Amino acid sequence: MNDIEQLIAGLSKEAQPVRPAPHPYKLSLQWTGAATLYLIVTLALTGLRPDWRESFVEPWFVAEIVTLFALFIVTALSAALLAFPDLHQKRLLAFAPVVPAVLFLAVIFLAWRADTPPAPLPEHSIECTCSILLTMLLPTAWTFYSLRRYASTHYRLAGSIALLCAFSVGALWLRLHEVNDSIAHVVEWHYLPMLGVGLLGLWLGRLLLKW
Amino acid sequence: MSGQNDNLEDLMRRSLAGDQRAYADLLRETARLLRPFLSRRLRFSNEVDDLLQEILLSIHKARHTYDGQRPYKPWAYAIARFRLLDHLRTHYADQLRHAEDYDELEEILPDDVTESEISYESISAEVEKLPAKQATILRLMHHDGYTAKEVAAQMGMNESAVKVAAHRAYKILRERLER
Repeated sequence: MNDIEQLIAGLSKEAQPVRPAPHPYKLSLQWTGAATLYLIVTLALTGLRPDWRESFVEPWFVAEIVTLFALFIVTALSAALLAFPDLHQKRLLAFAPVVPAVLFLAVIFLAWRADTPPAPLPEHSIECTCSILLTMLLPTAWTFYSLRRYASTHYRLAGSIALLCAFSVGALWLRLHEVNDSIAHVVEWHYLPMLGVGLLGLWLGRLLLKW
Repeated sequence: MSGQNDNLEDLMRRSLAGDQRAYADLLRETARLLRPFLSRRLRFSNEVDDLLQEILLSIHKARHTYDGQRPYKPWAYAIARFRLLDHLRTHYADQLRHAEDYDELEEILPDDVTESEISYESISAEVEKLPAKQATILRLMHHDGYTAKEVAAQMGMNESAVKVAAHRAYKILRERLER
């Protein structure tokens, strides 16, 4: 009991005015704003796919981009909530990425069903995954750096969600940059690696976000 | 109840503004709240005290994540639960490591214990012949069931020193019993 009294006395002496962390909505807005800017700059440097006018009248392509963008926004919000010990007392919202993820999977499945006859496969394969991984490096570093300033009690999940958010930025960039109509290729080399990235995030979260 | 909650939130708001007295009151009140929560989940009172100190430190470290606008208790309990799970995880990992230590002891024993000349008493006698520190460590760990961490706390040693001393003691015992 004496030890606790001593500790309290010591800690209270350190009580200087503290600037509270920003609200998670504001935090996620900062992340999505920075990531969107990064996406725009990357697209400006690498170029928008030349057939974008035709692509944006394809309903399944539009649905894919919209749900992927929703996944990006909601994972950013969820990661921001997971940065707080009590999830800012918005537990349901922290687990909200399930909704856009399910929608996204449904869209991909329906797009794959609608791809008859199947569009020709591009000649490249793993290059797409590598490009997405390279593109996501900067958003990943930024998000993890930011997350480390808070106090996540769900560090594994926060790591995984943060990585999925960064991956969706990379995936959005590639879909808007690369001329490719093959949904089979997109599933195999763009979106399936998401699972691995999610698992890697669990490990990275434990490594970098434990406090 | 609501009055007490308002009080906690108010204390936290004042603490974040740099009020040292409010901060001391808040931490004291938090410790009072969390003690029964931990006591229900942990066996030893020294464990409760250690963990309580760790939780207060975590609250201090994470206080910038509380903005004064939402209830204080769920925030503090989230940190307490997080530290408790962390503690239990480490504790059980420790127990598993000790299970391996028991295996080492079992290796010393011959296969058929009933036909052996080595009895529990003879092992105990050999343990007593060990240097005092090693004998105490083995007694605490294998007779009284303490973890290496708890033994370290009791003997004023660090955990790895306890493990090294225990390991050396096993080696000596093995040599003596195999003779």
